[in-house]
Amino acid sequence: MGISKDRIKFNVGGRLFETTATTLANAGRNSFFGALFDDGWNLSPQDSVIFVDRNSDCFAVLLDLLRTGDLNVPANIPERLLHREASFYGLLDHVRTARWGPFDGNRLRLSDSVKGTSPGDGTAIRAGPDGGCCVAHGSVVHVYDWMLEEHSPINLDYQRVNDVGWIDSDNIVLSACERLGRGDGGMGLFSSSSGDLRYKFQVSHENQVKSYTAGALSFSPDYEIFASCKGRSNEYGIGVWDQITGKQTDFFYESPGWSLGDADKLQWLNGKNCLLVATLFPRKDNCYISLLDFRDKNMVWSWSDIGSPMATDEKRVRDAIAMEDSNSICVVNEFEDLGFIDLRMYGGSVRWSSRSKLMKSKMPDEPCYPKLALHEGQLFSSMNDSISVFCGPDWVLTSRLRRSYGGSICDFSIGGDRLFALHSEENVFDVWETPPPPII
Amino acid sequence: MSNQKKRNFQIEAFKHRVVVDPKYADKTWQILERAIHQIYNQDASGLSFEELYRNAYNMVLHKFGEKLYTGFIVTMTAHLKEKSKLIEAAQGGSFLEELNKKWNDHNKALEMIRDILMYMDRTYIESTKKTHVHPMGLSLWRDNVVHFTKIHTRLLNTLLDLVQKERTGEVIDRGLMRSVIKMFMDLGESVYQEDFEKPFLDASSEFYKVESQEFIESCDCGDYLKKAEKRLTEEIDRVAHYLDPKSEEKITSVVEKEMIANHMQRLVHMDNSGLVYMLLHDKYEDLGRMYNLFRRVTNGLLTVRDVMTSHLREMGKQLVTDPEKSKDPVEFVQRLLDERDKYDKVISTAFGNDKTFQNALNSSFEYFINLNARSPEFISLFVDDKLRKGIKGIVDVDVEVILDKVMMLFRYLQEKDVFEKYYKQHLAKRLLSGKTVSDDAERSLIVKLKTECGYQFTSKLEGMFTDMKTSEDTMRGFYGSHPELSEGPTLIVQVLTTGSWPTQPAVPCNLPAEVSVLCEKFRSYYLGTHTGRRLTWQTNMGTADIKAVFGKGQKHELNVSTFQMCVLMLFNNADRLSYKEIEQATEIPASDLKRCLQSLACVKGKNVIKKEPMSKDIGEEDSFYVNEKFTSKFYKVKIGTVVAQKETEPEKQETRQRVEEDRKPQIEAAIVRIMKSRKILDHNNIIAEVTKQLQPRFLANPTEIKKRIESLIERDFLERDSTDRKLYRYLA
Repeated sequence: MGISKDRIKFNVGGRLFETTATTLANAGRNSFFGALFDDGWNLSPQDSVIFVDRNSDCFAVLLDLLRTGDLNVPANIPERLLHREASFYGLLDHVRTARWGPFDGNRLRLSDSVKGTSPGDGTAIRAGPDGGCCVAHGSVVHVYDWMLEEHSPINLDYQRVNDVGWIDSDNIVLSACERLGRGDGGMGLFSSSSGDLRYKFQVSHENQVKSYTAGALSFSPDYEIFASCKGRSNEYGIGVWDQITGKQTDFFYESPGWSLGDADKLQWLNGKNCLLVATLFPRKDNCYISLLDFRDKNMVWSWSDIGSPMATDEKRVRDAIAMEDSNSICVVNEFEDLGFIDLRMYGGSVRWSSRSKLMKSKMPDEPCYPKLALHEGQLFSSMNDSISVFCGPDWVLTSRLRRSYGGSICDFSIGGDRLFALHSEENVFDVWETPPPPII
Repeated sequence: MSNQKKRNFQIEAFKHRVVVDPKYADKTWQILERAIHQIYNQDASGLSFEELYRNAYNMVLHKFGEKLYTGFIVTMTAHLKEKSKLIEAAQGGSFLEELNKKWNDHNKALEMIRDILMYMDRTYIESTKKTHVHPMGLSLWRDNVVHFTKIHTRLLNTLLDLVQKERTGEVIDRGLMRSVIKMFMDLGESVYQEDFEKPFLDASSEFYKVESQEFIESCDCGDYLKKAEKRLTEEIDRVAHYLDPKSEEKITSVVEKEMIANHMQRLVHMDNSGLVYMLLHDKYEDLGRMYNLFRRVTNGLLTVRDVMTSHLREMGKQLVTDPEKSKDPVEFVQRLLDERDKYDKVISTAFGNDKTFQNALNSSFEYFINLNARSPEFISLFVDDKLRKGIKGIVDVDVEVILDKVMMLFRYLQEKDVFEKYYKQHLAKRLLSGKTVSDDAERSLIVKLKTECGYQFTSKLEGMFTDMKTSEDTMRGFYGSHPELSEGPTLIVQVLTTGSWPTQPAVPCNLPAEVSVLCEKFRSYYLGTHTGRRLTWQTNMGTADIKAVFGKGQKHELNVSTFQMCVLMLFNNADRLSYKEIEQATEIPASDLKRCLQSLACVKGKNVIKKEPMSKDIGEEDSFYVNEKFTSKFYKVKIGTVVAQKETEPEKQETRQRVEEDRKPQIEAAIVRIMKSRKILDHNNIIAEVTKQLQPRFLANPTEIKKRIESLIERDFLERDSTDRKLYRYLA
């Protein structure tokens, strides 16, 4: 008898379902089912069939999700419909977490390719914290949520976008060029859901607000925003803003003969409490990599290829990433050779790892320079139309992600347990996910 | 904004317009509104959750989120306004119950409404950043019920009345109280604080202001404190039962301020029950209560401490300056120790071993002990008394306890060197008369002094012990080399190193022939073994055991001093002697002789000789004869010397002078030490530094320091600066 009391019958859009209160309890209190069975609604489950005026096919999928935790969507159900239904029941978060598993660079599978409407090449793609992403095209940034539904695009006075970044799932920072004498451009904070401009960050020099061009962005867990800045007079350097107040809190002016304001890449190093700033060829003739400590306004480490005897074209550094665990900086050249610089030594040289230069012979029509990313001990490097995954202390190549169309990969980004790769020849980006764990 | 524009370009918008019935939104909303009414009227059993949820969902989906949201607010507001009228209509005691009931109903209804509007809560409200349904429902309750003019003050007054009733001893419904207060807390911290806590604290302050005034007029201090303590625990209890825990600190501070801080002075100084009374009558419990209550308020303990200190000083001053008390040094010190023990107990049992109180106690003792210049002497005498006989039979641990207590008093002394002087004299007497009871105790005290004042302080005292030890060996050697002396009188000599012992003017006297022969033998033995030394007899320090046979043939052994021996030996050859004759024969100085004769002739029961005429004092014309009728039940009779235990006035002067004399080189040494490192220093600084350096031993007198500086200048250790006369310069 105890078992039958637990049973619940549904009539969803004319189809009968029978399940248990235990299964429905998995939906949580803040869901349709949680409210339905609350004491306030004196429901008598034994003697009545509960009618729900919804799509029965989707209900079957979602009921299965509550039963097993697995999401199995038949081909005949469009994604949008399922998401709509999940949203009705308050099960959208359940769908999202069941959709893909924890990120593993060696188990990725292509889950989707999204074609954009913007003409022209993409500048950057950035993964959001909960599975969404944003893509910068010229002066506009397109925002997608985790269901890959596009939201309102964002722009900052329609100025050319240099970089974008997610502060959290609802806030995006955009950095753009200034237009001479107009006071526009710079940096803005946008709502990812509505696309509204929430705040515009300013640079003050000697107590005067200056217009500026913002370049690369980085964020620290202490709610700081870093951006490389170029002002009209001598406001070249790295600006620091507070994410909560929006006020400028610091500025690191670049010293003569060194480049900070033009930086291609900023990376906050939490363990060292330092910011990595890298300005690379071809933006400048030489490469400058430095670590800045903002507490005492000190450049604690720097490296440059100026005057380096090995500075042949073949060994130009095209991207750099600091790896705090191994106390080194990984760099890559245009042939996807990886090199390492020891962070413990001041002014050390690059130790290139010799890899076969297979690519050299068959360069595609529109080559793209390699980019690097690091995620939980896995190193990712994009080169032309593929992304290589390196693992272990010696950085062994373990996987390669490639697909047939779209041309070279101009940028990629990892976040929210997903990898997004933006292609340069066609306006399309790929979404790579790790499948949910196996059944047994 | 750009969102809407973009939409217009899309064809989909067309579809919507076709589908939606123009009255669709109104119709749907009516269904929901009716449901909200039913929920509030507790008539929800017929409602279909699925239908309502779907309707609310559809409204949001069809972009009527705004209508739904405002509709929900308007409907709920209307309902709450109605409820507040009902609550207002409730009479007397049922008012609070009605409010509580309606509050519980509202919570239940709010929960159900939130369930219906869940989709709106999650999507529309989230993206428009409006207030969510649940907090909105709470603030509507706050604005329409709690802040409703006819409820607001009435509710507050009802609650405050109930608290007042409870304070005056009535029993109230704490459960109801708790739920209503909980309502304030649920409505947010600011609501609780503004609408309840602040007025509650004000009312409490007023209540305790009146009550404390009443109490203080009618109660004595002890009772008042008991009542204050009770009130404090009551308030803490109240917070635990039905208030926000964060209020505890605030309400206790109100009670503390009104009941303690505002009456602090009056309480402490209350006649016949205040702090002084408690101290005098050992009211440990009351003292503890006072400490625990007063520590809660600023300057509370300071007040207690100040009063205790001034009482202690006053009491101590009376004690040490009372000439009656000074008559018996042992009693004097014992009184000090008793007071000290008493206050130690007060501090440890009632004042939680508070360091600041201990410091106050110490500084008070230091203050009044030094008011009496004879304190060092008395303390030494006390030790003397304890080490002479007092300790006999007491176990070692207790000895240590007594000595530790004495050390405590010693620490308070400013003139430690004076104590040293006296201690040396008393120790010398103890050692020489062999009256020291425990060698261990003696050494233990010296170790304590050493740790307190350093090696220098005790080196001479230790030298005295060494002398005693060497003397034993010397005597053994003497008798070893003179075996013939085993017959006849025995001489025991203690050889004392000059300097280690208190110098006493050697009083010459004529020793009886039997003894002087022995003395000569010893002198030649000693000087024969130790070359280059000089021996002087200190006859005033010696003792002798002599055997005497009295009239009826009864034999006694008399334990007497050397002087007494000399006198008694004269009666071997004469029956009657006049004072003059005795003086001539012995050549003992008059004052000593008189004292000696007094002890032999005038002490009842021990008068081995008789005097004519019978009187207490010795006159120059008196004559003496053996008391043939002398009896005693003991074989051994100890004839005491009439010693003034305390020093006589001239003796005191002398000791004082010696102390002053000894201080001179110490002051000079300190000056030279300081100047050697500083090279140049002005007068005031040098005085300050010297005083500081000598503090552990004595309090140097500035005029004396000045004299010493002059003397050093004369002897070319220092010179005055040629331009600034206040500056001194060290000459290497």
